[in-house]
Amino acid sequence: MSKIAQFRIAHLYPRLMNLYGDRGNLICIQKRLQWYGHDCIIEPINLHESLDYSAYDMLFMGGGSAQEQRLASKDWLRQADDLWAELEKGLPALCICGAFQFLGSYYEAADSQKLKGLGFFDLYTIYEPDRLIGNIVIASQLTEETTTVVGFENHSGRTYLHDDTLQPFGTVLEGFGNNGQDGQEGLRYKNLIGTYLHGPLLPKNPVVADFFIHAMAERQGITISGTLNDRLEDFAHRQTKQRILND
Amino acid sequence: MQTIRTITAIAVAKLLICLSRILGNQGTAFPGRIARKIDPHILQKLAGNVKEEMYIITGTNGKTTTTNMIARILEEKGYSFVHNRAGANMITGITTAFIKESDIFGKRSFEYALLETDEANVPLLLKELTPRVVLITNFFRDQLDRYGELDSTIGLIKDAVRDTDIELVLNADDPLVVHFHNDTGLHCWYFGFEPTDYDVWEDDESREGRFCSFCAAELQYERFHYAQLGKFYCSNCGSHNPRRNFTGHNLRMTPEIRFMVNDLEISSPYLGFYNAYNILAAVSVAKLVGIQDDVVQKAIASYQPRAGRMEQFMIGDKKAIQVLVKNPTGLNQTLATLNTDVSSKALFFALNDNHGDGRDVSWIWDAQVEAISCTDSGVKSITCSGLRSGDAALRFKYAGFDEEIIEVESDLEAGIKACLNNEAEVYYFLCTYTTLFPSGKILSRLARKSQGRKQPGHVRRKLTVRGE
Ligand SMILES: [Zn+2]
Repeated sequence: MSKIAQFRIAHLYPRLMNLYGDRGNLICIQKRLQWYGHDCIIEPINLHESLDYSAYDMLFMGGGSAQEQRLASKDWLRQADDLWAELEKGLPALCICGAFQFLGSYYEAADSQKLKGLGFFDLYTIYEPDRLIGNIVIASQLTEETTTVVGFENHSGRTYLHDDTLQPFGTVLEGFGNNGQDGQEGLRYKNLIGTYLHGPLLPKNPVVADFFIHAMAERQGITISGTLNDRLEDFAHRQTKQRILND
Repeated sequence: MQTIRTITAIAVAKLLICLSRILGNQGTAFPGRIARKIDPHILQKLAGNVKEEMYIITGTNGKTTTTNMIARILEEKGYSFVHNRAGANMITGITTAFIKESDIFGKRSFEYALLETDEANVPLLLKELTPRVVLITNFFRDQLDRYGELDSTIGLIKDAVRDTDIELVLNADDPLVVHFHNDTGLHCWYFGFEPTDYDVWEDDESREGRFCSFCAAELQYERFHYAQLGKFYCSNCGSHNPRRNFTGHNLRMTPEIRFMVNDLEISSPYLGFYNAYNILAAVSVAKLVGIQDDVVQKAIASYQPRAGRMEQFMIGDKKAIQVLVKNPTGLNQTLATLNTDVSSKALFFALNDNHGDGRDVSWIWDAQVEAISCTDSGVKSITCSGLRSGDAALRFKYAGFDEEIIEVESDLEAGIKACLNNEAEVYYFLCTYTTLFPSGKILSRLARKSQGRKQPGHVRRKLTVRGE
C-alpha cells in the first residue's frame, strides 16, 4: 500500500463564478481521491488574493453571470505570467464556461466592448443574444481511446479557436459546442481543459475525473493504484447519452 | 356586449376544461391556449370583470403558498375572486382560470384577482392587464436554463413595470430586489424580519445576490435569516436593507410558526423559516387590501399545507410523505425538515429533466445534500427514479452515502414499490415537477388498495374538489 498523499486544489473565485452546480466537479475529485486512499483539500481563492500557483496540484474555475465575470477576469489578469508558467509545466486545470473564455485573447460583450482575456491561446469569444442551451455529447481523445463525454451547455458566447494547431476538448456528436458551427467543443492543452460542459462535468464522466487525478499524481511524482467501482457513474453516463441521442 | 368570437372562445375552453376533468388530466394550460387562439383579447376582456383590484404574485420561491394564503384570507372575508390554482402560472393557465370562473357570456364579475405568475411571464401578463400590486417573494436560482441568467429575468420584470402606477411589494431582506425602487421609481412596500433567534452569521452556500445591485461590490452581512435573505449593507456605496413597512418580529418556530407582523399576532401550522416569509408576504398584502386583523389571523391559523407540499399517504401501516422539490433551495428546505424527523427513513427521489422540471439537472449539485449524509440522519435507503435517476444517484453517492444503500429504478412505479420494500418508519417521496402527479397517483392508488374497500377514492376526491 502506497503512502497517503495530500493534494491541494485552488478553487478560483467561488463566490463570483459558481453557476450550474459546477462545484460538483470539486466534490467529485475530492471524493475520488479519498476513495483512492489519498487526501485532498480545496482552497477558495477570492478577489485580491495572491496565490503561489506552484503550490497547487490543480486549478478550478467555473462560470458566472456577466457582471461577476467582469470582476473575476480583471483580478485574474494580475498573475497571468505565473499561471502560464505552471500550465506549461503541466498544472492540471479545469476552466468551465466563463473561465474557458478568459483563456483566449478577448470576449466581445453584448455592448460590443472587448473584455481582455489572459491571451494564453489564440481563441476569442463573441456574445450573441440567443443562448446555446441543451444536453451535449462529445467524442474526446483525452486518453488513447476515444471516449464520449456528456454534459449540459448554456452559453451566449460563441468561441472560435483561431489557430488550427489548437486542440479542442472534443468533437460534437449532439449539441452546439464552442460556437454551434465548426463541431468543436472546448480546448485541451497539456493538462488544461477548457469547456462549456457543466452538469456538472466530472461525476458523470469518470474518465475525465481520473485524467485529472492521474495528472495531479504525476505532478507529485507518484502513481495512483487500484480502480474504483464506477457502476453508478457509468449508468448515469449511459442514461444521459441515450437521453440525448434518442431525443 | 361580448362578441361571438369571445363567446366561442369561452365555450370551447369551458368544454375543454370539462373534458380534461373527466379524463383526470391535471393540465390547465391547454384550454386557455386554445381560447387565446380563438380570441387573442380574451384575457384582457375578462380581466375587465374584476371590480376592485388585481394582485400578481411572483418570485422564485413561495409564490404558490403565498398566493394560496392570500386566497384563504379573501375567502374568509367572503370576497369573490379569480385565482389560478394548482400552479398553472403561465399566461395560458391564468387565461384558463378567468374562463373557468366566468359565465358563458364572459360577464360574471369579481371583486379581486390573485394571479400567481411565473417570473418570465410577468412582462407578457402586464401587456394584457394592469394590477394594483406586483408582489415579489424573493429571487433565487431556479430553472436557469429556461431563462438564461437570473439577471435578465429581473431586468425584464423591471422594464415591464416601469412607467406604470403599479405598487410593488418587496422583500426587504433580499438584496436582489432593493434596486427596484431606484430603477423603476414606483411606490414600494417592504416586508422583512427583525433579528430572530434563528439567524446565522456564517455564510452558507447560497450563491445569488451577495453582490451589491448598485455597485457590484461584495455585500457585508450582519446576519442571515435564510439563504441570502438577511441584514446586509454595502461598504462601498452604502446601500442597505430598505425600511420595512411590514415587520416580522418575535418569531417562534416550534411547535408551530408564531410571530408578530407589526402589532398583529400570527400563528400557523406551517414549518420552516421560508414559510414564515410566505406568511409575512401574505399578511402584508392582506393589510394593503384592507382586511381586518381578526380575519387575517383566523385565515392563516386555519390554512393547512397542500398537495405536493408535504402530502401524507398511509400505505398499509407505512407512513409515506410526498414533497415537491424543484430547485436547490426547495431541496435544502426539504432536507432540513427531514433532519428534524428522528424516525428511520427510506428516501425516494424522482428526477426528471422535462421542460417543466428544467432541462438542466445540475441544480441538484447546488443543494447541500451533504447535510443529511451523516450517520445520525436516520436515512436507511435511497431509491433514485425518473428519467435522470443516474444523476440523482451520483449526487447521493458523492454526498457521502454508502453506495450499498443507493438503488436505481428509473420507472416510477417500480421505484416507489422498491422504496416501500425497504425497512423504515417513514417513507419520503421527493419528486420534481413532472414526476409529482404520476407519483402521487401511484401512491394514492397503493394507499387505497391497502385500505381495502373502506373508503374508496376518498383522498383523491377531496383533492379534486379543492383544486377547482
Ligand atoms: Zn454598493
